[in-house]
Amino acid sequence: MSEHIRITRNRREFLTNAFCGFGSIAMADLLMRSAARAAELNANPLAPKAPSMPDKAKAKSVIFLFMAGGPSHIDTFDPKPLLNRLNGQKRPAEFGEAKYQFVQSNATLLGTKRTFRKYGQSGIEMSDLFPHIAECADDIAMLRSIHGDMVVHSAAQYQLFTGRILPGFPSMGSWTLYGLGTESESLPGYVVMPDPHGALEAGQPMYGTGFLPAVYQPTMLRPGAKPVLNLDLPQGVTREGRMKTLSLIKGLDKEDMRPGDQELEARLNSYDLAFRMQTEAPEIFDLSKESPKMLEMYGVGDPKTDDYGRRLLLTRRLIEKGVRFVCPVSGGGPGNLQWDAHDDIEENHLRMAAQTDKPIAALIKDLKQRGLLDSTLVVWGGEFGRSPESQGSKGRDHHNLGFTMWMAGGGIRGGQVVGATDEIGLKAIKDPYHLRDVHTTILNQLGLDQDALSYLHQGRKERLTEVRGNVIAQIV
Amino acid sequence: MSLKCNALVLVGATAALLLAATSEPVAPLGKYTAAERRHWAFQPRAHPAPPTFNSPADAAWSKSPIDAFVLARMQKESLTHAPPADRMTLVRRVTFDLTGLPPTPAEVSAFVKDKSPNAWEKVVDRLLASEHYGEHWGHHWLDVVRFAETEGFEYDNFRPDAWRYRDYVIRAFNNDKPYDRFIQEQLAGDEIAPKEDETLIAAGFNRLGPVRRNAGNQAVASSRNEQLTEMTNIVGAGIMGVTLGCARCHDHKFDAFRQSDYYRVQAFFAPLQPYDLVKASDAEQAAWKAKATPIQAQIAQLQKEITQATKAGAATTELMAKLEEEQDALPDALPSLFTVKDDFANKAPIHLLPRGDFEHPGDAVGMRTPGVFLPEATPELPEDTANPRELLARWLTSADNPLTARVMVNRIWEYHFGRGIVATPNDFGRMGERPVNPALLDYLANEFVDSGWSVKHMQRLILLSNTYQQSSVPETDKDPDGRYLTRFPRQRLEAEQLRDAMLSVSGLLNQKTSGPGVMLPIDKTLVQALYKPSQWAPPKDTAEYNRRSVYLIYKRNLELPFMQVFDAPDMTLSCPRRESSTHAPQALEMLNGDFANQMAKAFSARLLKEAGPDHRRQIELAWRLAVSRAPKPAELRMAMQFLNVGAAGQSQARDQLALAMFNLNAFLYVN
Repeated sequence: MSEHIRITRNRREFLTNAFCGFGSIAMADLLMRSAARAAELNANPLAPKAPSMPDKAKAKSVIFLFMAGGPSHIDTFDPKPLLNRLNGQKRPAEFGEAKYQFVQSNATLLGTKRTFRKYGQSGIEMSDLFPHIAECADDIAMLRSIHGDMVVHSAAQYQLFTGRILPGFPSMGSWTLYGLGTESESLPGYVVMPDPHGALEAGQPMYGTGFLPAVYQPTMLRPGAKPVLNLDLPQGVTREGRMKTLSLIKGLDKEDMRPGDQELEARLNSYDLAFRMQTEAPEIFDLSKESPKMLEMYGVGDPKTDDYGRRLLLTRRLIEKGVRFVCPVSGGGPGNLQWDAHDDIEENHLRMAAQTDKPIAALIKDLKQRGLLDSTLVVWGGEFGRSPESQGSKGRDHHNLGFTMWMAGGGIRGGQVVGATDEIGLKAIKDPYHLRDVHTTILNQLGLDQDALSYLHQGRKERLTEVRGNVIAQIV
Repeated sequence: MSLKCNALVLVGATAALLLAATSEPVAPLGKYTAAERRHWAFQPRAHPAPPTFNSPADAAWSKSPIDAFVLARMQKESLTHAPPADRMTLVRRVTFDLTGLPPTPAEVSAFVKDKSPNAWEKVVDRLLASEHYGEHWGHHWLDVVRFAETEGFEYDNFRPDAWRYRDYVIRAFNNDKPYDRFIQEQLAGDEIAPKEDETLIAAGFNRLGPVRRNAGNQAVASSRNEQLTEMTNIVGAGIMGVTLGCARCHDHKFDAFRQSDYYRVQAFFAPLQPYDLVKASDAEQAAWKAKATPIQAQIAQLQKEITQATKAGAATTELMAKLEEEQDALPDALPSLFTVKDDFANKAPIHLLPRGDFEHPGDAVGMRTPGVFLPEATPELPEDTANPRELLARWLTSADNPLTARVMVNRIWEYHFGRGIVATPNDFGRMGERPVNPALLDYLANEFVDSGWSVKHMQRLILLSNTYQQSSVPETDKDPDGRYLTRFPRQRLEAEQLRDAMLSVSGLLNQKTSGPGVMLPIDKTLVQALYKPSQWAPPKDTAEYNRRSVYLIYKRNLELPFMQVFDAPDMTLSCPRRESSTHAPQALEMLNGDFANQMAKAFSARLLKEAGPDHRRQIELAWRLAVSRAPKPAELRMAMQFLNVGAAGQSQARDQLALAMFNLNAFLYVN
């Protein structure tokens, strides 16, 4: 009954491979032996799995460009000329009601200072905050009618990542890993790169594995030269010394083990994987081998874009190695260091856009030139958009009733706009799509059926989408 | 005992009249089909006689009723039991099982040498009486009730007095508090004995769920609704072992719980309000007030300014930051009891919420226990019923409640054997697994109730059985997951057991019990990843870092990496059963992690100190401490060779041997 993924393999295969990985011979040699490697993969719950809907599977990996704090749709990708004309007035009654976290009912509408222009052959309108992303317009499917249920950060962030407004449920990254495993043997399969400025309101549980086994948990990359916890040998321990210790552990375990004991065998294999991670991953994290041209393209070296550019360049390197789900986060710490522009939308968004525009465009172009964009779904968005009303005189409050996200690559048909908000950007009125529809579409591109991807938890078949979502048919 | 159930019905008879007088539409009382009522877990318990056996060997093995039921079940599958485990294995098994800690070498050898016929019984009784017993078994309960010491969500504020509930649970297990009383106190301690600290602390149970707070417009109604949901769902999942929470948005799709049943259970909580009862002398309160008053005045002033600024359309971020600063500057809250109380005057009526949406309430409902357990058309209780939660608790713990005793004995069984008789301990409904041995389950549940709901009595029965004392070596491949108990199922140590065992083996374990939770020093980058990094302030006294894991602070937004990697639950939902996954980051944690290496160094130093410079003696001690047995000849040879590196590399080789010990399957698993 339990849908827990179990390590399965047949007995004959096991007997063939048993203990190939053990003994006193140097580990590095052993790792090259294909029999040992096959045994390892068989015992590895993260081994790649076929998608449940192979005919739908276009994407192998997902990059979720999380714009934390909630970027304004009105100032970025959803032009609203009427809003500018109504600047300073109260919201006309025909647009209906909205609940905000701070803004009271007496607030007045705030037009945008940004200018919009059509880009690419498709002529998608974007604001001047993103001159570089605009160059990718024909790859982008602009989703202007997204809506969610919550208007405060923590609950909205949970919904964006887990489909539920409470903590404790698996994130889309964990679900993806659970559904597909990972193709990277030496790297974690699901990586989150938080903004070094600090944490977000929903905290760690937002990215987490919820009730799924810990094997599907995200690896949180830390800022600095040693991004993965426990990947470095402890001080004073050499590689040779470590190999000796590992060899001792294996020798002793073998002595105390019955042949055919799959669970203990799996544990020993996890030590091989750990060792491989330790030797191979640091090379992936080292950007120094990238050409100056490539570094420049991502904005590495320019103080504005250096940090985010490095993280996106690393994202591309991880995707190349078969990592399944990568989430670089833009925004962290106090609200104004996120896209959470309560005080001054201009100051905040000019700064946040300047940090991210060039690296994001570089990522899309780079994936494309490497032939990886077709198999990599790139998703851009925050937990909500921002209010057409002003907060204070220059800021905007949270707003969940209609906002913009976009997708590119991964089999998405770019160069088109989906849905629309009303004339002041208050509510999604044409082809509205809920966050769960975004999840459904992501799963669909990975070839994962939203119902089949379930886990029995306390008597309930839990799914990412909870209530059935719709694929955004226009773009797939 | 069915009187208690009937009493509820009788009291309810007048309620229909009362409700009929109100104008609001009332939800129908629901109808339950015979088939729904027949679901196995809703049936009264049977009183099965233990099976008997013709073969003298079987009869000898099955002297205890538990063994008879277990043997009959495996024979039905044409399987048989395993031979008994050896004494070293047994004493390690039962010590981890009852206390969460490894046995000392002296305890192992005392049992191995004890030739008296009741040697095993003495070990079991000694461990049941150990103060470490409650620390370990209390922790199991803390998983079920998703205990944590912070509120979760954005602010994830500390609950500075929640540890009292943790200590209450530990005490309850150590004192073998009858389980019916244990449930009554947690659900309704404030109603049952409003003047007793112990019961007030117990009632903090109702507040254990996460609470959402945020800046700006407080969504008071929505937050209250979330808290009521938490209180209701935990009764279903934790005590009744059913997925009552599924009926929050619609009638349950599989089990006989209507949406109206859900909200009728919720109605018992309608008058409940959180309550912090200050426990400080007048002088202490005055001193606190003197410190706090000026800051509180500042806070009030800032709040006023924020309101004005918002009205005037001016920026508020700076003011908000100042406000947070002032709030942080308030002196630590006075000691108080983290509890609840009924406030009937401000009770908000409970309505059905179609799709769970609190903004669009449906029909009104009053209190009633779920209808499938009552005669058709049993009315609701009168609205003015006193002590509503006590009534709910008494229904739950009445001797003939079909679920409560079965659910708890199944949990006890699960923690001993790694798998329940019902493999889904929080779901005895149709989607859950059927009991693999229904007669055994009912036998145990009857015994539990008849013993006065004594958990220790049940454990003694289980531990003294032959079933428990079997070897863990599989004799057959026809029972791969140990479902039929043809052997004792091997179990991996849980995250906390593993940490505590490392502390214990290295000799560093601080055995101090009870008191406020302890923060461990953790990687800087993790602290930076908190919304308020200042919330993480480990104590100066480093001995505190070596306390048992049950005394560590469980912060909802910061799971300790060591715990997380070994499948500790995140304490936001009830956790009926730990996962036991195997993956590379565990190996990295155990080989490269700071904690593993600190413990290895301490273990290594202990070996040198207690065994002297002789390698063989060091190795023998290492084995006895870490895996409770002597090394086998081949193990001894490998370890001797590993240490044979000359004087210069001596201490490092010993450190690495110590680290290797913690990484052995023999250390991580209990056979």
